[in-house]
Amino acid sequence: MSTEAEDTCCARKSCCDSNSLALVYASLLARLWLAVRAIQTGVEKFSGTKSSDQIVKVDGAPNEEGLTAAGSLKVYALDNYHGVPAALMKKFEAEPLMMKFALPLYDKMLGPALILLGVGILLGIGYRTSLFLLGLLYISLTWGLILIKQDDGVSWLAAHMILIVAALALAQYNRLAILKKW
Amino acid sequence: MNPPSSNLSRRDFLSKSVAGAGAGLVLGAPNLLCAANADGSDKIHVALVGMGKQGRVLFEAMSNIPGLHFQAVCDIWDYNLKGGVAKVRALQGHTPKGYMDIDEMLATEKGLDAVVVATPDFWHSPHTVKCLEAGLHVYCEKMMSNTIDGARAMVKAMEKSGKLCQIGHQRRSNPRYRYTLNKLIKGNKICGQLTNANAQWNRSLGASQDIGFNKKLAIDPSILTKYGFKDMHQFMNWRTYRDLSGGPISDLGAHQIDIFNWFIGTAPKSVFASGGNSYFKKREHFDNVMCVFDYDTPDGEVRAFYQVLTTTSYGGGFYEAFMGTQATVKISEISATSAIYREDSAPAWDNLVDRGFLVRKPAPPKPAATEGAVASYESAAPEIFDLPGGFGKPAHQPHLENFFDAVRGKGHLNCDARHAFESEAPIFWVNPSALSKQPIQFKTEHLSV
Repeated sequence: MSTEAEDTCCARKSCCDSNSLALVYASLLARLWLAVRAIQTGVEKFSGTKSSDQIVKVDGAPNEEGLTAAGSLKVYALDNYHGVPAALMKKFEAEPLMMKFALPLYDKMLGPALILLGVGILLGIGYRTSLFLLGLLYISLTWGLILIKQDDGVSWLAAHMILIVAALALAQYNRLAILKKW
Repeated sequence: MNPPSSNLSRRDFLSKSVAGAGAGLVLGAPNLLCAANADGSDKIHVALVGMGKQGRVLFEAMSNIPGLHFQAVCDIWDYNLKGGVAKVRALQGHTPKGYMDIDEMLATEKGLDAVVVATPDFWHSPHTVKCLEAGLHVYCEKMMSNTIDGARAMVKAMEKSGKLCQIGHQRRSNPRYRYTLNKLIKGNKICGQLTNANAQWNRSLGASQDIGFNKKLAIDPSILTKYGFKDMHQFMNWRTYRDLSGGPISDLGAHQIDIFNWFIGTAPKSVFASGGNSYFKKREHFDNVMCVFDYDTPDGEVRAFYQVLTTTSYGGGFYEAFMGTQATVKISEISATSAIYREDSAPAWDNLVDRGFLVRKPAPPKPAATEGAVASYESAAPEIFDLPGGFGKPAHQPHLENFFDAVRGKGHLNCDARHAFESEAPIFWVNPSALSKQPIQFKTEHLSV
């Protein structure tokens, strides 16, 4: 038979174990969400469209004039890369506070940076530092969007930042990391 | 490549040159010229003459066509020349030879097969004739020339040299235009009796302003003078000068009046035009022009109204519309603004839709009845249809593909110089009609080579 004190201790331990598991899950979910968000956003910067080359059939036979099926297919290729969308780029270029020399560099590194940081978070390679750098990247995007008065975008990024902060706060519960240091 | 042969026979040429008989006989069937690539190589060695805005548009379209080798680039402006050379280098990995002077290029370059000319209009004819006489096939931008005699010289040079000369009326190779003419207007006669045509190019004031330039990049005045330009402003804005171009009616109108003549299938019998300098008072050319062409066809008379306005974008930009008793075809290089409207009294098109000739577009919402409008005066709204497909290439690519296919001996030109001349000849008489405020009844000398 256990004493009352032992029962209380066991109950507390059980409670602690239960909380720990929940926090591990919370950390894992935040990690997966942020990784997927960063990786796919980066990959999308290599997406483009390719027109259909399927010849339309008219009266049961391919038309001789070469009309092709309407619509286009989404394709991924290095040649399609576009870091900062062209419409936003023009607005950034018009901003007096924007460092013009840095824009082309930022444009080039944005997609690869999102993919690399996303992979780092997904695989747990320098998990905390990857989260911190992703946070800095989102802050840079936030600054740009503030300049061109894209308040909706700023709000979206704020939600991302809350998740990054949560993931960092839960970092001690992170499991399955390839490189735990940093 | 060995010199290709034209399949346009001497007899064909002579028959088409007979005064009064030439114009209109072949407007509807321009696939007469082709060449044979006899050396077995599929590589075509190309020189680019003129690398300004239009030259770059053509180059971008050509960059999608396999089997081309861009051997030389020529432009009198160092800025365009360097930019053109860099674009070619980026595409094919090695640097083409750059020239400022076309004569030097033709004298120096060996092994060229074809030249793509995108220089100002008043240089089209001299450049094209030089290249044809040098034994090269030529793709030249429209308008053929700023003068009808310049255009005539191009036809004569093409037929004398036996080389190919395609004029850049790119709609002639556009699958959507070809399908509309062959399958719908001719094949299924969906318009019924064609009675009217209407086309326009309305361009905003903002898009019609003079083109500026960086003074640091200006061309040396002696070079400008050598090539026929008074100054840098004239070089940048040659389209607004009478000695250098035909003005908006030829610069923009040529594309669409060509479609009138191609689709209607004959040359007009007269033109009556009105024009003026409504806003750009100092320009030598009219900034706004309206004109009416009259046609006699086997099915009856057709009137075609065209306007080019450079002071407003109102009215749907640019399109061509062919109105018949049973339907109207509205077509443009922009598929979204194209549609086919069936008259309420025409036979149903369910069969055409079922067989895939057309697709039905959703009917627009019916406007609410308004007070004061007399409902019985209104016609029933036409049903709206669309083509069953499109094409996913730059607008000029099919026409360039057609040219290079013909150079390889694998096809026929869709718009050789003779057919382009027959289509363009009436356009040369729009400005004279507007200036004299008189209609012009076309005679043999107006429209023949």
